[in-house]
Amino acid sequence: MSTLSPADEAQLKAQLQDAVVSCTERCLYQSAKWAAELLNSLPSSDDNGSDTEIDSPMSDAPPRTPIRQLHKDATELRLEAREMPKFLLAKSLFDCREYDRCAAVFLPSTLPKGSINPIPSPAAKVKHPWKGKAKMGTPSKGTTSIRSVLGLSQKALFLALYAKYIAGEKRMNEESEMILGPQDGGVTLNKELSGVSAVLEEWFTNLPSSGRQPQGWLEYLYGIVLAKGKNEKLAVDFFVRSVNQYPYNWGTWQELSSLLGTVEELQQVQMRLPQNIISFIFHISASQELYQSTEQVHNSLTQILSFFPTSAFLQTQRALLHYHTKDFEEAEQIFSNLLITDPHRIDSLDNYSNILYVMGLRPKLAFLAQLATATDKFRPETCCVVGNYYSLKSEHEKAVMYFRRALTLDRNFLSAWTLMGHEFVEMKNTHAAIESYRRAVDVNRKDYRAWYGLGQTYEVLEMHSYALFYHQRAAALRPYDPKMWMAVGQCFGKVGKVMNGIRAYKRALVAGSYYDAGVGSSFGSGETPGLGGGVLDPDVLYQIALLYERIQETTECSAYMELVLAQEEGPEYEEFSGEASGGVGVTPTTSKARLWLARYEYMRGMYQRAMELANELCQDGVEVEDAKALVRDIRARIERDRGE
Amino acid sequence: MASSRYLTPQKISLLVLVKLYCNSVLPSSATIPILSFILSHSIPPLPSHARARHTSGYQDYSISIRAFEDVLQGQPSSMPGRTLLDVFLKQMWELNSFDALHNLFNHLGCLLARTREDSEQNGGAGDEEDLSDHIVLSKSSPLGTIVRRARLEFTRLQFDDSIKLWSAFIMYRAPTAQWTKRIAGLASSGIDINAVDMELGPGDPLYEVAYGHLEDEDSTEENLSIDDLNRLLEFQLDQLQRLGCRVPEDMKKRLQNMLGPFGAVLRQSHLVKFFDAWKAGDYTSAFDSLHRYYDYAMQTREKVHYQYALLHMAILQADFGCFGEAIAAINETIATARENQDMTCLNFSLSWLNHMSKAYPRQMKGAGYMGMLGSERDGLIFLKAKARETKMHNLLSATLLNEAKLSLSTGESIPRALEYMYQASHLNIRENVNNNGGSMLLHSTLYSRLGLTHLSSVYCELLLHCYRQTSPIDEKIRAICRCAFAAVQTGCYDEGLDLLENIDSSDHRSLKFHQYIYHCTGIINLKRAIRRTDWTACEHLLSSLKPDSSTDPELSFLLCESRIDYLISRGLYSEAFNAIEDQASSLKEENADILQRTAMLLAKGVLFCKVGKPERGFSVALRAASVAFKARLMPSLWMAVGVLCCILNALGEYEGSGKLLHAVIPQALENADKALIASLYSSLGDSFIGLAGLDDPTSSNGARSLAAKVSRAELFIDRARECYKRVEDTNGECEQLMKKALLAKLRGDETLAEEWAQNHNRVWEEGRKRIVDGK
Repeated sequence: MSTLSPADEAQLKAQLQDAVVSCTERCLYQSAKWAAELLNSLPSSDDNGSDTEIDSPMSDAPPRTPIRQLHKDATELRLEAREMPKFLLAKSLFDCREYDRCAAVFLPSTLPKGSINPIPSPAAKVKHPWKGKAKMGTPSKGTTSIRSVLGLSQKALFLALYAKYIAGEKRMNEESEMILGPQDGGVTLNKELSGVSAVLEEWFTNLPSSGRQPQGWLEYLYGIVLAKGKNEKLAVDFFVRSVNQYPYNWGTWQELSSLLGTVEELQQVQMRLPQNIISFIFHISASQELYQSTEQVHNSLTQILSFFPTSAFLQTQRALLHYHTKDFEEAEQIFSNLLITDPHRIDSLDNYSNILYVMGLRPKLAFLAQLATATDKFRPETCCVVGNYYSLKSEHEKAVMYFRRALTLDRNFLSAWTLMGHEFVEMKNTHAAIESYRRAVDVNRKDYRAWYGLGQTYEVLEMHSYALFYHQRAAALRPYDPKMWMAVGQCFGKVGKVMNGIRAYKRALVAGSYYDAGVGSSFGSGETPGLGGGVLDPDVLYQIALLYERIQETTECSAYMELVLAQEEGPEYEEFSGEASGGVGVTPTTSKARLWLARYEYMRGMYQRAMELANELCQDGVEVEDAKALVRDIRARIERDRGE
Repeated sequence: MASSRYLTPQKISLLVLVKLYCNSVLPSSATIPILSFILSHSIPPLPSHARARHTSGYQDYSISIRAFEDVLQGQPSSMPGRTLLDVFLKQMWELNSFDALHNLFNHLGCLLARTREDSEQNGGAGDEEDLSDHIVLSKSSPLGTIVRRARLEFTRLQFDDSIKLWSAFIMYRAPTAQWTKRIAGLASSGIDINAVDMELGPGDPLYEVAYGHLEDEDSTEENLSIDDLNRLLEFQLDQLQRLGCRVPEDMKKRLQNMLGPFGAVLRQSHLVKFFDAWKAGDYTSAFDSLHRYYDYAMQTREKVHYQYALLHMAILQADFGCFGEAIAAINETIATARENQDMTCLNFSLSWLNHMSKAYPRQMKGAGYMGMLGSERDGLIFLKAKARETKMHNLLSATLLNEAKLSLSTGESIPRALEYMYQASHLNIRENVNNNGGSMLLHSTLYSRLGLTHLSSVYCELLLHCYRQTSPIDEKIRAICRCAFAAVQTGCYDEGLDLLENIDSSDHRSLKFHQYIYHCTGIINLKRAIRRTDWTACEHLLSSLKPDSSTDPELSFLLCESRIDYLISRGLYSEAFNAIEDQASSLKEENADILQRTAMLLAKGVLFCKVGKPERGFSVALRAASVAFKARLMPSLWMAVGVLCCILNALGEYEGSGKLLHAVIPQALENADKALIASLYSSLGDSFIGLAGLDDPTSSNGARSLAAKVSRAELFIDRARECYKRVEDTNGECEQLMKKALLAKLRGDETLAEEWAQNHNRVWEEGRKRIVDGK
């Protein structure tokens, strides 16, 4: 499927067009935007061909009609036609942000209070008595109102319930406290959820008997409601049902991917998904979000990009994949080009700013911040970019201010939570840092940086077993990132589980050698820029050695110390560019290892070797005092031995 | 575009210059010009009253980049072949991205001297040797404070505000773009290195997003920060308050342009509007602006400014003649100031109240003012003590002058008044109190009362020459009017009118000043018309010059005096008598200035002379003379003597009259009041005639003595005629001519008598003609 046939392409085009219209009708603006972007990123070559016949009805009509028929069965069409005036009113009200009024156009004023969680979860148990009462108290009223709802077309019902849901969200935001204020627990609930859920539950139980064809939209909404109620399994089911019925609603896919925590889950869901181009794109973006930047994903992305050569969304995915593998140059290049082609696009610029931050390109980051501000200064992305810039300038208070602003604009804006956590760490405000990270994790459990940050913060607080848990989560998300494993190992060492620690460090070694390319840090400065192929990280080796020393396995320990020393020169000599291809050279770590070894040899009585090592130390000019003392001791021993 | 609080492109440029200076790239010859340039544009001038400072006036805060060019172009740099301008522009254009701007501000910290704590915090700092060839600014030095303030303000900026600053800076330095071509390596970087790196230029969509708005913006927009504007407005307020003028028309426009684009209208602008409207006589909008100002001031400040609001209100009300409201307001001011322990305000209000009750006693009484501080003298003593206590030199100086004024008006000893005045002058000089105008005017008043007209006008001229710029316009105009009146006294009406006409037309924009000048001009014209016996003009002028409650009390007295003069001259004696009686009783009621009360006595005396019953005015004239002598009101004394002599002549006491006149005339001649001299001479002539009448013409001795006396009388009549001619007094002149004609007839010289009679007729005709011609 390297290229699409003209017919397929026309079909795709028509379907995307229809998707834009349908999403707009249902006020799913973001999905509409996504579809429209994709629609316009199709190669425009056929535009030139059809220039002459653009007016002829022949070329336009055929692809349109089948799609209409695909989704619109007669019943729905009839209902929709009947409701047209009311629907238009509701739509306009929605557009004016009068959500409650919009909902009231179709829905009766009192909705039954149902459960958000048909399968009760622990959180919902508390509410049980009240819920039961409500059900018993007004059963007749509830059912009648449901009846009236059943007479609506799916489109109208969706819009009404969606408006209800959005109204609830809006109220929830209004009631929430200031970001990280004393009352801001992040637990404010959307009060409309139960009502919406009850109606939908009823609708879906009646569905088989009513003989109506589901369209996918209501499933999407129900999925959202279920996901909000932490009923994720059922939510996934409904999302899958939704995409099977209508794949062009990108919102559904997004919700679905946010529910997938691991690659395994993704693979499980993959079985149940339809096979079409959108699900293909979903696979790529979901993999990206799970940090699966494998060759295979890259290949699929390249394929898809050949259909949609100018899609900013897909290019962003590519850049993010590069970002996950720490290929910053490439990612930066892609983002830079994107910026040139679409200067007003702000989506995912926060990621771009992260890249620039890690690369330390301050002028460019400033320019980006300037651009974003010029376009819209009240977008969470913009605030993140500015925050990142201030963070890079070590103005942490200001950075926090901007991240906070980003969060005020959108409480679920993941990267701002994490970045704010980083800033709080810098400002030594560990409690706020922990809270920020925690909120980040609550928003998206796949954010390894937040997990890692939590771990780090707890380490600062010397709560190592706690830290261990978080580092393990991070390591689970990024199994091939040596840093995660190092952190895990360190924590194991601290809590006394030496063997586990050694294992974790060994994992780190494996992970470190996994990447052929340079391994940088996702946390910016203070790390070695990357090791050549085959070179093991001396720090890790040294840590392993220290751990072995702790359990008195001196031989193992000395072996690892030798290994550390060996890293100075690298496994094999390559002629070009001496140091870079070879080892890491003399570093504090290797010197420490050398000193340890020298002392070790001295203890063992191998004075000659000890002398050599100590002299090397003196030459390197590190730990000279200790080394000289050692040399004196060794001389004295040798003299004494000789004397005897 | 809303502006920043403090930072502007100009300030950034100044900072670049400071940096240049600190990095020791300036050759020593350039140090002084550069430093003085920086300081002149960053530090507000001290409020000094020295004359030299005021020639430069206010600073131009919106200096353009050209100003930098002008200063720097002439200075060679340490690099041969380059001027300092090149070095400066190189630095300016090295700010090639927003980030570079940030760096500029970050590195400014290095220019400051480190205190011990700082270096400890930084762990001893490694760059000690770096500083050897740098100039390090102390934190509290002028440059140090500039740098610190700039850093602080930059840190305060929100991100998008700093972006705005950056855009403004790009615009600001844009005119120097052609210079960058001279500097190798900089030509390529353009306005933003990022744009160049990404190969963007004008026209690219991305470039347009970042910098597209630069071209749309009006390039003439002035880059002013709120801080600059505040200073500007403060300067305006200072001028308005100190000088009492209005905002000039062109400045008003500029201010509007500057303030227009601001989202937040500055509080002070309301105050400026208030003063402007007040001075323009626009009561309602002044009132409105004042309220608006204090409403906005309330949000930000405490209640402590309430008393000032009330004080302003009181002054405003009084200025528009609403004395009842003014008193209510000032009473509340005093109460509030007492409550808040605001001594300055309290003392000022008391002083003002004191001044008001002095200046408008009738109106104040009518409005129910009973007097706060007991008698006036007690009030002044109290104020003086308070001012000494609280070190309010300004108030002390003003109070001393008031005390001097009081002792003058009650006719107490002149040396005491002089002592007060010298104390005030001493205080003005020692404490740099800008109260010179008032003191000068008082001096001039004092000398004019003593009859030293010349000294009096010298003081007025001194004020105009030396303190014109710093003293309130009110005082300036008073001085000019006084000079004009002095000129009129000598008969130079045109000169006096010219003086008044030449007053800067901008002063007319204040209603009060306009009215004052108008009244002065009217009085001069009225006097002239009376002398010319131009009764229609007199009637017209009198009706248009009717004083009301808000007219300056001094002027209303002058008007009243002129009216009486008119009535007497026209022969409406009973009306004149009534007017004199009314005025005298009201003056008595007000406990008015002794000079004015004497003047009324004299008017009465003159009236009696005119109606031909001089003996009835004898006691009045004598009283006036004795009072004037006691209070050293020399001109009044002379006039009183003149009236007395008339009476004596009428009673046939020619001898005594002649002696008196001989004693008085030389002093009066010094005074140069021609009308007075004319009447004195005419009286002297009369007494000589009278004396001649006593001689026996039959005896040869008597005949000779008679001839000698008649010829002396003729001489004095001629002199009187001259003086009358000078002051254009047609009646007086004709009277003298008649006398001459009579004398000639008596001597039996009919032809001469005929000639004099014809002369008389001619002068009369000329006078008529002059009236008809209106010249």
